[in-house]
Amino acid sequence: MSRDKMLVVYMTLGYPDNERYLEFMEEAVKNGADILEIGIPPKYAKYDGPVIRKSYEKVAGKFDLWSFLPETRKVIGETKAVALTYLEDWASELDDFLYKLKGAGLDGVLFPDLLIDFVDDYRAYSSRVREKGLSNVIFTAPSVPDRMIMQVSRQSDLFLYYGVRPTTGIPLPITVSSLVTRVRNLVDNKLVVGFGLSDENDLRKALKAGADGAAIGTAFIQAIDNGGVKQAVDLVIKLRSILDEF
Amino acid sequence: MVVVGVYDTPMVNNAEEILPKYWYNIIPDLPKPLPPPRDPLGAEFSRIDLLRTILPKEVLRQQLTIERYIKIPDEVRERYLAIGRPTPLLRAKRLEEYLGTPAKIYFKYEGATPTGSHKINTALPQAYFAREEGIEHVVTETGAGQWGTATALAATMYGMKSTVFMVKVSYEQKPMRKSIMQLYGGEVYPSPTDLTEFGKKVKKENPNHPGSLGVAMSEAIEYALDHHLKYLVGSVLDVVILHQSVIGQETIAQLDELGEEPDVLIGCVGGGSNFGGFSFPFIGNGRGKKYIAVASAEIPKFSTGEYKYDFPDSAGLLPLVKMITMGNSYVPPPIYAGGLRYHGAAPSLSLLMKEGIVGWREYNENQIFEAAQMFMRTQGIVPAPESSHAIRAVIEEALEAKRANRKEVIVFNLSGHGLLDLPNYDSMMRRVTSNEQR
Ligand SMILES: Cc1ncc(COP(=O)(O)O)c(C=O)c1O
Repeated sequence: MSRDKMLVVYMTLGYPDNERYLEFMEEAVKNGADILEIGIPPKYAKYDGPVIRKSYEKVAGKFDLWSFLPETRKVIGETKAVALTYLEDWASELDDFLYKLKGAGLDGVLFPDLLIDFVDDYRAYSSRVREKGLSNVIFTAPSVPDRMIMQVSRQSDLFLYYGVRPTTGIPLPITVSSLVTRVRNLVDNKLVVGFGLSDENDLRKALKAGADGAAIGTAFIQAIDNGGVKQAVDLVIKLRSILDEF
Repeated sequence: MVVVGVYDTPMVNNAEEILPKYWYNIIPDLPKPLPPPRDPLGAEFSRIDLLRTILPKEVLRQQLTIERYIKIPDEVRERYLAIGRPTPLLRAKRLEEYLGTPAKIYFKYEGATPTGSHKINTALPQAYFAREEGIEHVVTETGAGQWGTATALAATMYGMKSTVFMVKVSYEQKPMRKSIMQLYGGEVYPSPTDLTEFGKKVKKENPNHPGSLGVAMSEAIEYALDHHLKYLVGSVLDVVILHQSVIGQETIAQLDELGEEPDVLIGCVGGGSNFGGFSFPFIGNGRGKKYIAVASAEIPKFSTGEYKYDFPDSAGLLPLVKMITMGNSYVPPPIYAGGLRYHGAAPSLSLLMKEGIVGWREYNENQIFEAAQMFMRTQGIVPAPESSHAIRAVIEEALEAKRANRKEVIVFNLSGHGLLDLPNYDSMMRRVTSNEQR
């Protein structure tokens, strides 16, 4: 079985509780996740949809970030893990934050607000991430102009993240294939597409249009809510098999 | 031969070629990413999700699927031709002579559409997409009445009903606007109304509330939600500017045919749709050197507004967008140009202004009245008071060119005619004359 396409699995840190979170992360890796994205609850999840926003509210205050984060590394082995968190919350103490992330066993960081609220300084911020020995995963969207997608793609290390909808988890109508084709033609990076791609049709269209992988989040949270860790792991298995068709 | 009067350039005879086959979207060509819409902190419901309920699906898809060029459906293109697109590009030769300027002045005359303004350019596709989805009734708001008129006609053309919340001062100032909407088949209410919770709330706080676009918009959206109708968007959203790009694309083709290269492009701004539709194809394709957006000095959003996330409507039912805004609770004074009584400016236009690519001007009533009168007396067209703001900027630019002896080409968008705005001109005339006598 080929494994060319990347499955990036998102989960909110400590969701739905610390124990089941760790169980899910461990199983996700065993069942085909290539990269894990760990959501650290922000003060204001501006660019997240309602499901992920609710998940942040649910876990807020349930753990100590710097003692719990390293627990993840223990269950995921060598699998790459990136933190997803808002630069807004850390900008004033960024070096310290990056240093601690590295210490907690994370490989990289993704700031969804980097190209929105910090666009004039994105180069400086991504250099600081690299200086601290972490990888950048830069988040782009259809609203990012062509020229800028090409420029930022050079700063994005593990892959270039492309969110095809303006927010996560709301099935807004879009044409996935043309959105992906546009960016595919602009960059050489591994291109991982996300935001509402749990729909199988959309996922296949994105892969057909040249995406190297998919990032899925909301669907795992909903699966956990509906059928616990088992249902979420079943979804990992199913997505893995769709990705492996390509 | 150049004839003094209205038609200095021939009416369009190769309409099929001039009318574009694609709408143009500037987002992939912006200097920076357009900040996405978002929900407010602690939102109990998702406004982004709400868009799915109120907008026709294809309209929302076009808003979100960001492609540089989007094909205009044949059915819409046919309607564009049927309502007289392409609109003429005319030379304001008499105005040039009157000003004694070496500059050439051209204007794209959007008043030549049946409803009298550019608004029909997006009303048609939005109504078409709604109809395709099986919708039978659409709802919207209107300020000056131009958008409501366009909606009423477009809805009827596609066999749908329409309900229009018209800003109260305009409704009272311009009863003919209501008549034309009703003649086209629309149902019109002066906003704030008692038909929505938001309207009732606004009236309770201020029984003499003159209404505003933001309030009427909130009423229309609430009404759409309550009655399971679809809402048509008149301005501000990217998808509206996308549809309006027919204006600028036609103008480029018409200028090319004349062998003219534009230097300065000028338009007025309420929400930004005629300015964006006119200028973005130029900006995105590197045509033109200077772009000027003109607002009203009575609603000084460019000089005093902030660039920040704000609600496009007063009630805050729509997602937050980043734009130049005076705040969504701002009540614009009841001025003579209803279409400019809006607290914000489209996010894409705001970004281009913030980046210094598009410049701005603001003019008051006296200044635009003078400009409008000069235009009427030299060119014979009664401009909409909104469009007269652009004319004022054109005159100043042409006089500047005269002082510097510059042979530049100025092109502006005459977004609508003012034949249904005569009560406003009437009262302006009275005020301006009495000011002069004082
Ligand atoms: C004739 C005319 N011009 C301009 C405007 C301003 O709107 P926009 O900035 O969206 O073009 C209006 C709005 O009603 C209008 O009727």
